[in-house]
Amino acid sequence: MLEVSGLTTKYGEISALREASLHVGAGEVVGLIGPNGAGKTTLLNTIAGLLAPSAGGVVFDGDDITGHSPEGLLRSGLALVPEHRRIFVNLTVEENLRIGGVTVPPSDRPGLLDEMGERFPILRDKWTTSAGYLSGGEAQQLAIARALMSRPRLLMMDEPSLGLAPLLVDVVFELIDTLRSQGRTLLVVEQNATKMLDLADRAYVLRSGEVVAEGTGAELRDNRDLFDTFVGN
Amino acid sequence: MFPNLRRDVIFPVCGSVILFVLFVGVGLAYQSQFSGAAERLVTFALIDAILVLGIQIYVGNTGILSFGHIGFGAIAGYAFALFAITPAEKLKRIPDAPFGLLDVNVSPWLAVVVAVAVTLVVAFVVGIGLARSGAESGAVSATVITLALLFVTHELARNWPDLTGGDRAGLSFRIGGTLDSRVPVYLALLVSIVLARLYAQSRGGRVAVAAREDDLAARAMGVNPLIQQMVALLISVVVVSVGASLRVYENGSILPRDMFFNLTLVTLVMLIVGGRRSVTGALVGVAVITTGRELARRLGQDGFEVFGIGLDGAPLDWIFRENLKSVFMGVSMLGFMIWRPSGLLDDWELDKWLHSRFGRRSEVPPESLPVIEPDDSSVLVAEGVDVAFGGFQALDDVGIRASRNEVVGVIGPNGAGKTTLLNVITGLVESSSGSVALGGVDLSSAQSFRIARSGLVRTFQNLRLFAALTVRENVEVSALVAASLRRHRPPPDVDGLIAAAGLWEHRDRRARELDYGTSRRLELARAAATAPAFLLLDEPTSGMSDSESLLMVEQVRQMAGLVGAGVVVIDHDLNFIIGICDRIYCLDCGQVIAEGTPEEIQADPVVQAAYIGSAAGD
Amino acid sequence: MTELLQNLIDGLGRGSIYALLALGVAVIFGVMHLLNFAHGELITVSGYASFWALGAGWSWYLTVPLIVAVSVLTSLIIERVAFSRVRGADDFTLLLTSFGVHFVVSAIFLLYVSASVKTYPRPAWVTNTFAVDSLRIEVFDTVVIVVTIATLVATTLLLQRTTFGLSLRAAAADFDTARLMGVRSNSVIRGAFALSGALAGIASVFWLMRSGSTSPTAGIDPMLKGVLAALIGGLGSLRGAVLGGFTLGLAEVILRSRLPDSVASLTEGVVFLLIALLFIFRPQGLISVPHAERV
Repeated sequence: MLEVSGLTTKYGEISALREASLHVGAGEVVGLIGPNGAGKTTLLNTIAGLLAPSAGGVVFDGDDITGHSPEGLLRSGLALVPEHRRIFVNLTVEENLRIGGVTVPPSDRPGLLDEMGERFPILRDKWTTSAGYLSGGEAQQLAIARALMSRPRLLMMDEPSLGLAPLLVDVVFELIDTLRSQGRTLLVVEQNATKMLDLADRAYVLRSGEVVAEGTGAELRDNRDLFDTFVGN
Repeated sequence: MFPNLRRDVIFPVCGSVILFVLFVGVGLAYQSQFSGAAERLVTFALIDAILVLGIQIYVGNTGILSFGHIGFGAIAGYAFALFAITPAEKLKRIPDAPFGLLDVNVSPWLAVVVAVAVTLVVAFVVGIGLARSGAESGAVSATVITLALLFVTHELARNWPDLTGGDRAGLSFRIGGTLDSRVPVYLALLVSIVLARLYAQSRGGRVAVAAREDDLAARAMGVNPLIQQMVALLISVVVVSVGASLRVYENGSILPRDMFFNLTLVTLVMLIVGGRRSVTGALVGVAVITTGRELARRLGQDGFEVFGIGLDGAPLDWIFRENLKSVFMGVSMLGFMIWRPSGLLDDWELDKWLHSRFGRRSEVPPESLPVIEPDDSSVLVAEGVDVAFGGFQALDDVGIRASRNEVVGVIGPNGAGKTTLLNVITGLVESSSGSVALGGVDLSSAQSFRIARSGLVRTFQNLRLFAALTVRENVEVSALVAASLRRHRPPPDVDGLIAAAGLWEHRDRRARELDYGTSRRLELARAAATAPAFLLLDEPTSGMSDSESLLMVEQVRQMAGLVGAGVVVIDHDLNFIIGICDRIYCLDCGQVIAEGTPEEIQADPVVQAAYIGSAAGD
Repeated sequence: MTELLQNLIDGLGRGSIYALLALGVAVIFGVMHLLNFAHGELITVSGYASFWALGAGWSWYLTVPLIVAVSVLTSLIIERVAFSRVRGADDFTLLLTSFGVHFVVSAIFLLYVSASVKTYPRPAWVTNTFAVDSLRIEVFDTVVIVVTIATLVATTLLLQRTTFGLSLRAAAADFDTARLMGVRSNSVIRGAFALSGALAGIASVFWLMRSGSTSPTAGIDPMLKGVLAALIGGLGSLRGAVLGGFTLGLAEVILRSRLPDSVASLTEGVVFLLIALLFIFRPQGLISVPHAERV
């Protein structure tokens, strides 16, 4: 479904991403792990059209989407839950969800809102609360629900467990698992390598802007060297 | 005050003389070509240059957009006129003048001095207001305050006829005719150029520029930007006051609208066209805009005949009108802001270029570096720190200790509170309870720049270099700050630090051009150059490759050793942490869950569980 | 007491126009972080349009929509030509760009239009007053206050209840994330400028009705009032802009009535002084909108 080849993105002179390539098949859950500053967020932001690559290309469902705008990509079915969630703190929970659904025909929107309310009962309770008052875990659920409003074919998530207590991390990963069992295609960037590798069908390891390893979740998890690169001996 | 005599005093002074000669030369050449009104035009251009230089000293070095400098000019202009005009003239214009001004009769030179003094007093008060409003580069509130100054002086001038002659008549006079010779203007211009350059090269100017580049980073190394902003303001006002007085003298009169929006626009456009960060640019801007305005004026009057072409101007008549020059001004301002906001010259200076071409003896990186011993064994102690953001407990009863001869690491998963702890220690975040002390001195509620001055200097997770400054200038400003704060200690050797950090070959490159790893090393060197008691590093290896991280171990050890500092470092790279730390604290969910030597920490099951997560796999 | 009440009413009437102007300024600031010094030019343009229309025999009923249309159009043109090219620039550049636009537009007027003041007939009812107890209330003021309130309600509904308003508020809070949600950034910005133009248009109608004249520099005064009112209120919020407008109006009226005659002409200056003091002690304005900076 998604084919990234040789993607290079620069900030001025500095290459944050160097010839990165990956692919995501329909229905797959693909993980993207690596230490801080490895370029994971840069990769997602480039795919999503927020950053322009200096080289390489992205193909989504057969269409070349390199350099397309984020607004356009969302209409093609590619959604991103950004790092730090970035919910609109000046809007209510409901309004955040409605923004997520602006690209959907107006007649479908009420139905989608109801659906999100059912799937995320915690949000339902806080429907008219300003999003700035949500806790970290609730905000993460809102961010994911908001992205789901656009009925994406491929959902990308940037560090969904960032800053959450271990218990909430489990909740988030359960959510990802549920999405997977619904047949959704996911590309997830995570710091929490072990949990991600348990869940993913396949994963890529990014370091200093380059893809240094690729394999199934199990292969990478049991690879001792890889583990050491991350977490010392 | 001036780190390098050749570069910071001799060359700037010589360069200023050359600039002066060039600028005046061009003016005199123009004058000899077109007689008559050209002479007056050139005189006013010279005076405009003085005004623009004055504004440049403030706007260029602090980055604060001031609309108010012509307001200061108005104060100076009226003060000058009131003191310089003979009592007989005053009796005619302002018979009811207050404060006994009718009887005052002073030579023009003394009048200028008085004008400067009066304006300085006002500037000081305004400066305090600006500081109070938290002025920093680009701040809207500061600009509004300066705009208010412009309007208040304008309104006062219009509505206090007893003092100012009011809106229509103003004050006019003949003090033995208008300015007879240009010598005072030449003198004032030369001094202004020299002053502008010397200030920019001085310690004060460099500190102001650092704060302009990144206010937060400057405070984190002990700079209080407000002091230098006041100094820049006062110096700039002196120059503007002299320029305004000369203008009034040359004009032979002063009206409220002379020192209001129109002159503000003209001087601002001149400043930004040349490049607001450059003194050379200010002069270039004056020349370009004066020429452009004059051309526009002529075209507006005479159409193409200006070029000696006798065209039937009918088709183009719609462009060539009176007031074409105001369109020219507006379009210049707009055009430059859209396409070249940093101006024609950016921050290029003639003397800097001359110095880099001819002035530098071949420089060799210093070989052996003196190691500075820590002069006391003050210990950094944080105890019982609690921080809550809304309902979220970021830190819960956290405490760490570090002494100056060790490297202490802080690790933990994302969101554990590591950076928050660092922010509390360095004064960026307030804790609801607990304390931070260095050598027994409580630093808990001090401002960030004071904490830095006490000896706790930090780096940032998001790189915060002084982007427009070179590598050397970045480190130098740090050392300058240290030198003035810790006089009893030898100042850190800037070149030595740069060489030790492996930055020697990059020393003249701007910080914004460096690649990531080099930038991080620069940040480290700059922090070390303040000769702190402790270096607090926030993820110094973030984004680095394995080999770069291992290099950093050496770098950090070396930098710290060279300046006698203890180190507290946050990082995720466990290879780096284990390689460099003597002791490690592990944080999770805002609490300290483990403390010990690298070996102990690695073997600790609690650490493994928290960092690596449950179901470690084996 | 009566005097106070009279001042209150006069101040509110005056402040309503300022509130409308401030709203237009605040909308742009909210979307682009740009302080629009060119806002007053919309009034100048509208003034000349009115002069032309009324001179050609149009009634005020037709002229009013013309004014609003001209204002919206001019606002969109300015956005296209100038402001769209400096999106995302630093505050210094943005301030000077808007200053530059102000100067170019007013210079063009000075160039092509006689600098003399042009007058045109005001609607007959502008100078009517009616009395309630011992208070003298201008019909004009009443109309302005009513229209202002109606406009505020309409704008609030637009921003709170429509998808456009939602997109605008989202883009103002987080431009890039809004794009990730599929919000078309460019359209939203243009829409904001159109909205700002419409608000300026309504303010123009009353400003022009009251003054009965226009000149190339007619826009400076309303621009200042709008910008200052928006600043007083605190640039982050629309409520603040309205509050700032009323505050400014009231301050002017009260000062004028309280200051001793000898310094009455200094009212403007005193207002500026007070504004400066406000910014010294409360740089974020009356209603502050906190924003965190990631270290």
